[in-house]
Parts: sequence; C-alpha cells; structure tokens
Amino acid sequence: MPRRLALLLALAALAACKPKDASSDRATKTIGVSLLTREHDFYRQLEAGLRDEAAKKGYKLIVTTGDFDLAKQQSEIDNFLVQGVDAIVVCPTDTKGIAPAIEKANAANVPVFTADIAAQGGKVVSHIASDNVAGGRLAAEYMAKAIGGKGDVGIISQPELQSVIDRESGFREGIAKYPGIHIVAAINGAGVRDRALRAADDMFQAHPKLAAVFAINDETALGALSSAQTHRLNELVIVGYDAAPEALKAIVQGTQLKADVAQQPTEIGHRTIETIAAHFAGRQVPPVIAVPVRIVDADSARALAATPAH
Amino acid sequence: MNRQRFAEYALVLATLVEALVFAGVAPGFLSVANILNIAMSVAITGILAVGMTAVIVSGGIDLSVGSVVALTGVSAAIAAAHGVPAPLVLLVALGIGLATGAVSGALVAWARVPSFVATLAMLTAARGLAFIVSDGRSIGGLPSWFAVLGRSVVLGVPGPVILMAAVMLLGALVLTQTAFGRHIYAVGGNPVASWLAGIRVRRVTFAIYALNGVLAGLAGLTLASRLGAGVPNAGNQYELDVIAAVVVGGTSLTGGRGTIAGTLWGTLFIGVLTNGLNLANVDPYVQKIALGVVIVAAAVADQLSRRWGEAAA
Repeated sequence: MPRRLALLLALAALAACKPKDASSDRATKTIGVSLLTREHDFYRQLEAGLRDEAAKKGYKLIVTTGDFDLAKQQSEIDNFLVQGVDAIVVCPTDTKGIAPAIEKANAANVPVFTADIAAQGGKVVSHIASDNVAGGRLAAEYMAKAIGGKGDVGIISQPELQSVIDRESGFREGIAKYPGIHIVAAINGAGVRDRALRAADDMFQAHPKLAAVFAINDETALGALSSAQTHRLNELVIVGYDAAPEALKAIVQGTQLKADVAQQPTEIGHRTIETIAAHFAGRQVPPVIAVPVRIVDADSARALAATPAH
Repeated sequence: MNRQRFAEYALVLATLVEALVFAGVAPGFLSVANILNIAMSVAITGILAVGMTAVIVSGGIDLSVGSVVALTGVSAAIAAAHGVPAPLVLLVALGIGLATGAVSGALVAWARVPSFVATLAMLTAARGLAFIVSDGRSIGGLPSWFAVLGRSVVLGVPGPVILMAAVMLLGALVLTQTAFGRHIYAVGGNPVASWLAGIRVRRVTFAIYALNGVLAGLAGLTLASRLGAGVPNAGNQYELDVIAAVVVGGTSLTGGRGTIAGTLWGTLFIGVLTNGLNLANVDPYVQKIALGVVIVAAAVADQLSRRWGEAAA
C-alpha cells in the first residue's frame, strides 16, 4: 500500500510540474467520465450518448467504470484530477459516499456533473437524470388502467439505490389515487434476475390472487415473468422499467409483461455533454435537468422495433 | 457417530418447529403448493451443496461455484441459441464446469495453492469470462426444449427438485458406499495419515474439485433453463448461500466430518427460513440478520458437540 501511495504522490508531483495553462489553453477539452457499471444495457447506451455528443463537440472523453465499488470510483476521480481533465462526469456508486471525491474536484476547480444518480455533498454543477418519480407514477397509472382500478398488487424492489427508491415512491404515490388498489407486498429482488425470480415465487405463493406486479427494472421484470409463467398466472400484469431489448420483445410477444417505463439513456448522455458545453461557454446551467420518461406497451414497442435503434 | 446423528435429529426438529411457527404467522405457508415452492427455491442451492459438502469434508472450500453457474449458464444458452442440439448443450455446460473445477483442483492438489485462494481466483475469472462470452448481455431467444430441465413438472414435482433429489442421493451413495467417498473423509480428517495409508491424496483432491465443477455446470444449466435465458450476473454470491447450507447442516469447516443428509436439512432449514420470512412480509434487512444468527448458532453447536466428543473420548 505505501508503495502505491508513493507512486500516486510521484504522479501528482509530475502533474504539478506541468505548466498550469496546459488545461485551459488546450485546443480540445478533456472530460473524465466514471460510470456506475458497463454491465447494464442502460449504461452502455448512456456511454454511447456521451461519446456521440462529445465527438460532435470535439471533446476528448476518458471513460472508466466504478463497477459498483466506491473505492474504485474515488481513485478514478483522483486519476482524472492528476490527468488534468476540464470536467468530470460521475454516476455515483454511492449517493453520499462520493461526496469527498467531489469535494476534492471542487478544491481543484474542476467542475463536476452527475448523470443518472445524484450525489449528496460537494458542489455539483448540474445533475442530469430521468425523472424517476414521474416514471413510477406512469407505471402506476398504466397498471391501474390495465387491472380496472381494483385489486391487490406487489412491488419487487431494490431499496439500496436512490433511483429505485424514487421509482417506488412515485409508484406508491400513483397507486394511492386508486382506493380500490392495495399494495399488499414489497419484496427485495436485488435488481438481478435470479434473485427477483425467487422473490416473485414467494410473493405469488403468499398472494395467489395478485393482480399486478411493479418490477423496478427489467432484470427484475424478466425474473417475475419467468416465475409467473411457471405458476401459470396468465391474468397477471407486470410493469417493468428500462425498456431493454429483451423486455420489449417479451412485451411484443403478449406475455404477462405488459408495459415498461422507458428511460432515454442516450438522451441523458447527449444532454450531459450539452450542459457541460454550456458551462464551458460561461452560461448559467440549471442544477437539475430532468430527462423525460414514457410508457411503452405492445403497440409502442412494435413501433420502436420498426425504427432503427438510436 | 451417535453425536453426529443427534445433531442431525436436532436440525430436523428445528426445521419442523420453524415450519410450525411460520404456519401460524404466514398466510399460505402450510400448503402443498408452498412446500413445492420451497423445494423449488432451494433446488439450485441443494445441487451445489452436494459438491460443496465433499469439498468441505476434504478440508477445502470452493468459492467459485456462483461464478461457474453464471459462466456455464451463459455458455449453454449461447450454444442453444446457435442451434446446437440438446445433448451437446448439456455437454457444454458440464464440460465447462469440469474444466473450471479441474483448474481449481490442479491448483490446490499439485501447485499447493490454498483452496480459498485458488477458488477465489476462479470466482473472479469465471465471472469475467461469463461477461466476455455474453458481451455482458443476457442470452435469450432460446429453443423451447431449453426450458425442459428448469420448468417441466413430473407428477406434480418440478424438474429441478427431482434433479436435486437425484444428485443428493447419488452424492450420499458416493460419500458413504465407495472407496473414493471414504478417501474424501480420510483426506479431510488427516491428509498425512491418509497418504501413509496409501491414499493418493492429490488425485482425490483434484477429483473432488473437478466433480464439484461438473455439479456447478449442472446447476448453471438448470438455472438458465428456469430463467429462460443465460444471465451473466446470475449466481452472484451463491457460494455464500451454499456454504451456509452446508455449515448449518453440520459439516465441519475443518474437514473430516459431514453428511449429505445434514446438508439436505441445512438447505431446507435456510429455504424454509427465507420463504417464511418473505411470506410473513418481514423486512429484507432483518432477514439478512436472521440468516447470520442461524449460521453462527450452527457453528457454535458444531464447536460444542466437538468439545463434548473430545471430553467423552
């Protein structure tokens, strides 16, 4: 460990020796990006959006991934500061835990932007993300219509993430408008398919007359779908979140997965770079930029499949 | 031996008491449908627990099974999606499982790498491979026969449950009725004495890990079949569930002691606990604490029974 620290210090010293004007006078601006992960389709699309817009603006991107590991993400941000980037985009692995790293960037006068997941603490110029509360509300409205305004429903959640907490609270808010609908179960499916499958097995067992399930992402929705199929719950309505290709396919095929809340990750990527460009140009940018979400059902999914992927 | 029997009966009793409590507080707990549901939910863990029992009895540990489940599931799904016929897909899953187990086994047996380290390396490597071969995406769009293993029902019993029962029976027979099985206990109890007694300790060790890999491949194929897709992030931390089931079942982490019957009840005990707490709508964080308490209680019981055993001897 001390050896690594020494190496880091040496690198920092080297960086400090470089002429100070290196970053401001450089023809091309460099932006350091630390994603949450590359394992999710969502983040791949977000990255594509970032790269796409950055190429248009002529910015250089350094893209890394925190892999759900706060320590790794912190060291990535340290590296960005050593490399002398002009701006940092971070999708925090931990909403509160990322604060010290952001404060370090603040101290170095490097502007920080968050995408998809917000940070608490430190100074963030702008947060660009889906409106997840609105997404949860949309899911509730669609579900209420699909089950005729009454019945018992469940949630398969992943309460460790702020974006999921927002989805769930939006959903609960939306369902509260329908006195005939009761949320009878909320189980943690850990956001991955096999765990969600087990959670759904237990939920359907405890509540065999369940009318609908809100799954907080598509892996969860597909796990719940597998379970519903083995339990032969043909009338069940599942509403998912993310509109990943596999989920869209299930929706089009007329399975119990009836609809998905679609985020626009590519658009989040575009808007993030646009916001950074505005900031570079010295314009005032809003502290929160909400990228709209929408509901996708079988009809709109077919239309989406007909148009080439962006 | 009698003490071990006693511990097993105690666990059976504990499971039944646990079931009675849940029957009182959780709606729908005591029904045939839910009992099958519990059996189904522990089937994958149960299959893996048989191999893990042998590994732990031999004095080792295998941390890689969760990752191997993902790697073999994804590989089988890719093969099936490319039109490879069913028997070959089975071979792909079992073969890749065997290969990972053989690597771990060779490292432990001949390179003398501690099993914790060798299989920890396999844990990360197999997970990485699963993401590489699948390009990080789930592999869906599989032919209908792919679902047979995971979703078929024979005389009201789900396929994975039958598979678990068969694997457990076979595992118990191998451990108790074959020379290889007795050698596993001997190696775990005292490797030096085993070697002096003419047991080929390294070969036995290698074979245990290789066979454990085959079982992980079978579990990976079954899980992918149940999910209807090969999912690269599936099986995450399964090794912990499996080790917990084996330890609660009375297998000693220091090697030399343990039975498949104990493992069956350990698996069921944890399955009933998770299912009952879910049905009773208990907070998921509290569930994690409950599982922790159970594991510690099992370890303490193991220590106590050993001390009594030494005092008696």
